[in-house]
Amino acid sequence: MSDKAIDIYVRPEFESGALGAAENVDVERELSLIERISNINAVRKLSILLGLVIIWQFYTWFSGVEPLLFPSFADSMDVLWKTLLSGEMFEKVWISLYVLLLGYAAGLLIAAVFLMLAVSTRIGSDFLSTMTAMFQPLPAISLLPLAMLWFGLGIPSLVFVTIHSVLWAVALSTHVGFMSVSETLRMVGRNYGLTGIPYILKILVPAAFGSILIGLKVGWAFAWRTLIGAELVFGAAAGEGGLGWMIFEKGDNLDTPYVFAALFMVILIGLLVENVIFRNVEINTIQKWGLQR
Amino acid sequence: MSDIKAISLFVRPEFENTGIETAVVGDIERRLSVWDRVSNMDPVRKFSVLILLVVSWELYTRIGDVNELMFPTFSATAAALVKAFVEEGLLTNIWNSLSLLLTGYVIGIAIAAGLVVLGVWSRFGSDLLTTLTAMLNPLPAIALLPLAMIWFGLGSSAIVFTLLHSIIWPVALNTHAGFQSVSETLRMVGQNYGLKGLPYIYKILIPAAFPAILTGLRIGWAFAWRTLIAAELVFGGQVMDTSGQIGNEDSNAGGLGWIIFANQMENQTPYVFAGLFTVIIVGILIENGIFRNVEDRTVRKWGMQKA
Repeated sequence: MSDKAIDIYVRPEFESGALGAAENVDVERELSLIERISNINAVRKLSILLGLVIIWQFYTWFSGVEPLLFPSFADSMDVLWKTLLSGEMFEKVWISLYVLLLGYAAGLLIAAVFLMLAVSTRIGSDFLSTMTAMFQPLPAISLLPLAMLWFGLGIPSLVFVTIHSVLWAVALSTHVGFMSVSETLRMVGRNYGLTGIPYILKILVPAAFGSILIGLKVGWAFAWRTLIGAELVFGAAAGEGGLGWMIFEKGDNLDTPYVFAALFMVILIGLLVENVIFRNVEINTIQKWGLQR
Repeated sequence: MSDIKAISLFVRPEFENTGIETAVVGDIERRLSVWDRVSNMDPVRKFSVLILLVVSWELYTRIGDVNELMFPTFSATAAALVKAFVEEGLLTNIWNSLSLLLTGYVIGIAIAAGLVVLGVWSRFGSDLLTTLTAMLNPLPAIALLPLAMIWFGLGSSAIVFTLLHSIIWPVALNTHAGFQSVSETLRMVGQNYGLKGLPYIYKILIPAAFPAILTGLRIGWAFAWRTLIAAELVFGGQVMDTSGQIGNEDSNAGGLGWIIFANQMENQTPYVFAGLFTVIIVGILIENGIFRNVEDRTVRKWGMQKA
């Protein structure tokens, strides 16, 4: 407590003059019809979509843009409708989805084998982490030229690159998930005498399901992108091409409305897989189990 | 304890265990042998896995009598890689790819930032952002390349356009989701300080949502890298041939994807492998060199992410 003068600024007292009397605004009132409607999420989003579509349509009508370069919304929809009715679109979609499913399933199978090795031995774990560190940054599509060399121009090459794009993403995130399963849960498993595959299925997989699901989602996203890219390059060499090939072929022929129709289809499938399939799996597993809020 | 009921409890008869040998005290503590200690080092084990892979590759191609054009030996690949680096200016090709990527990345992040700011400011902006990302995020950027080539011609602007598309949506989606999950407490702290508009965003929302933003940046980078390689694979040649950047045949036009594709067309399989290695190396460098460092200096230092 030395005697030093400290300058403390003390704010002079003052009395605030002209405060208007507080007004009692509506504390509670019925929302008007417009407010209630615009509070519905779906309505707002749909009207934004509608707005975008209208802008697009009017832009193509009034700006005199060359329809070969940028078709109107109506034309694109018309083509989409026609190809859907004639079954041409379904055929393309099926070719793409078939390859995708084949690649996805095979990729998951291989990932499962690698993971089993990684869980049971240390050398397996090292092997897996080295392989994923190497191949995860390698875009699967860049293996396409090699795949074409090895497997010829056909579905096997497409499946090969799809496997490559699924495998590492799934293996990496599942492996990380397995490693972070808490010691308590592992000991519970051992207490029940679980070893080998039952130990993986009953303890590790449910405990790490959150990160497995993330891996599956990332794997799907990469696989879908890779597949469309691969089909763009040489989908037709197999005799019949999928959606990616349709985009490329119609783009080359300047059938731009077809390109847009195919793009719509790609978006639609993406939305379906992400918001219907994965969302439902999520709701029925990790959200039900309380792993994710 | 009022009424007494007779409960028959089974009482295990006492017994004395016989025939237990004296407990053997094993090594409680002992020095690990040199072998144990070496094999406990992570890098040693991983390197030996790598070396093992390389050796089995070399042996397979030598002994298995594989066609050199289908699957070159490791030594041929390594020689091609060194030759490409030293003599053929592979660095120029890497730079061609990376400069495109950087251009797209920077512009993409700027556009995403604009969209997200709109999303923070108004409910309409937020709705617009969520609708657009929901629609366009599932669309593979590469699918837009044919359209981009119609609109922008065969040039690097077409590739940058597709790159933009692959970056904007993941970044905007993750950032927006991150902003929305910033806790009310932090927001109120910001409002208490009188922060509004841009200062509110970059002093409160961005630091609080940084892990999500970083995830978005990483996904954006991963998609962009894949899109770029794919675009170059497909159209690299056309793009570079007409953009006027080319002098003669030996010039290093085109990026890494183009190197892979062109060499495959000419059956220079060792060079294809060398190109793939380069892609892996660049990917690892960016992932572990840049993103890892940013993570260490931000979210990990701030204690938002463990391990």
